[in-house]
Amino acid sequence: MATLAARVRAIPTWQVTLGVALLALGFLIAAQLASEGPRIRITSQERTPLVATALDLQAQQDGLKQQILDTRAAIGALEAAGQGGTTVASDLNGQLQDARIAAGLAALTGPGLVIQLSDSSAPVAQGDDERDYLVSGHDVLAVVEELWLAGAEGVAVNNERVTVATAIVDIGGSVLANSAYVAPPYQVSAIGPPDMLERLTASPGFVDFIRARAQTFGIGVDYATPEAVDLPAYAGSVNLRYGRPATSPASSAAP
Amino acid sequence: MRRWSSRIALGCVLFVLGFLVVVQLRSQAADQGLNGLSVQELTELVANLTTRNNQLREEIRTLDQQHDAVATAVERGDTSAVQIRADLNRVLGWSGRVGVTGTGIRVTVTGQIPGDALEQLLNELRNAGAEAIAIGPVRIVAGDVPNGPAGNVMVGGLPLETPVDIVAVGQPQTLAGSLTRAGGPIAQLGARFPEIIVTVTAEDLVSVPATDRTLAPVLGRPRL
Repeated sequence: MATLAARVRAIPTWQVTLGVALLALGFLIAAQLASEGPRIRITSQERTPLVATALDLQAQQDGLKQQILDTRAAIGALEAAGQGGTTVASDLNGQLQDARIAAGLAALTGPGLVIQLSDSSAPVAQGDDERDYLVSGHDVLAVVEELWLAGAEGVAVNNERVTVATAIVDIGGSVLANSAYVAPPYQVSAIGPPDMLERLTASPGFVDFIRARAQTFGIGVDYATPEAVDLPAYAGSVNLRYGRPATSPASSAAP
Repeated sequence: MRRWSSRIALGCVLFVLGFLVVVQLRSQAADQGLNGLSVQELTELVANLTTRNNQLREEIRTLDQQHDAVATAVERGDTSAVQIRADLNRVLGWSGRVGVTGTGIRVTVTGQIPGDALEQLLNELRNAGAEAIAIGPVRIVAGDVPNGPAGNVMVGGLPLETPVDIVAVGQPQTLAGSLTRAGGPIAQLGARFPEIIVTVTAEDLVSVPATDRTLAPVLGRPRL
């Protein structure tokens, strides 16, 4: 025994350090390979350029959306400046601003709540589909719908405002809102009445959702009630290409 | 000499270790969603992003023309009332405050359908580019959710009448194709509720009414 201890003490310090470093190195290589696992299964020559293209298109989209918001603001400023002092133009401009706010074309702030949905960290049970443990577009859509039913007057998913034209869909394991890729975790923000959380948690549909997704598969559902919830403006197209608005009661319609 | 070689070996190992730590952290921070997608799913994602970007570019062109027209009117000293009225009409039509007429489809659902299945159809129509949707007499706007079990569904505060009549304005072939594609929402609906019959008809002219809801926020304020 004494001989063994003496032999251990005789090992030079640098060898001990090197041993520890090599151990850590091995661990990291193993971790890296493990994290590459799912990708390796589906890797092909087309995959890498497709990921790069998707990221590039998403970056372009962010720039285009900002351009739309800037141009809308510039038009609004011009229209306000060009009222020419007439009552008609001034009234119309007021209605237009109200209509834009009502349509979700203006950023909004107000009381409300934020629900965060995150992928499950529970181990996948034998026989289960591992995708059931990930937040899907269907989950996000279900929460958006429940928030509307609980009295929300404005909703956003991550940085995408939910409007009359918003679809929330799945592509594989990723979620698109307004055809924009939104990355997990998903934050569904809603402006609404003070009792919105109570209404939400009392809704049979939301209770079913919690039972089916959070309790069964461990999908994370977290709530926050900040003092003010900020919703972004919708930055997509409001063009009617195939339809025409009815001959307008526009100047008399309230938003 | 031996001490130097051991230090160099240790240095190399630590360098590789540091490099791998950085690679590992960066790969974890990278977009996990995209990393999990197959080639087919990535292709679909790229197609969606491309379509959306083209729509956004078209919107920018429209806005640029609108900007030029307003700027010209202001320079001439005219009021911009005509431009404002056109813009207002466009926004009101899009958001649901005025009715919309155009090409589109009519979807008829015979049988008892629950609210969530109906919402799936609406979500698919929106994804296919529907510009205005109505269920029976109710214009569907932001916040309208068909809700309730089959036989007791409410839409816009009204009980759902059967057969359910859904009208959507948009490109008829795209809207119809999106609903009727193999494995699409109607196929899924058929698998879930075999007794339900869904028919889709392309139409040259459909009309959807205006909503009677007030869309203006009460609690939210515009954020500058």
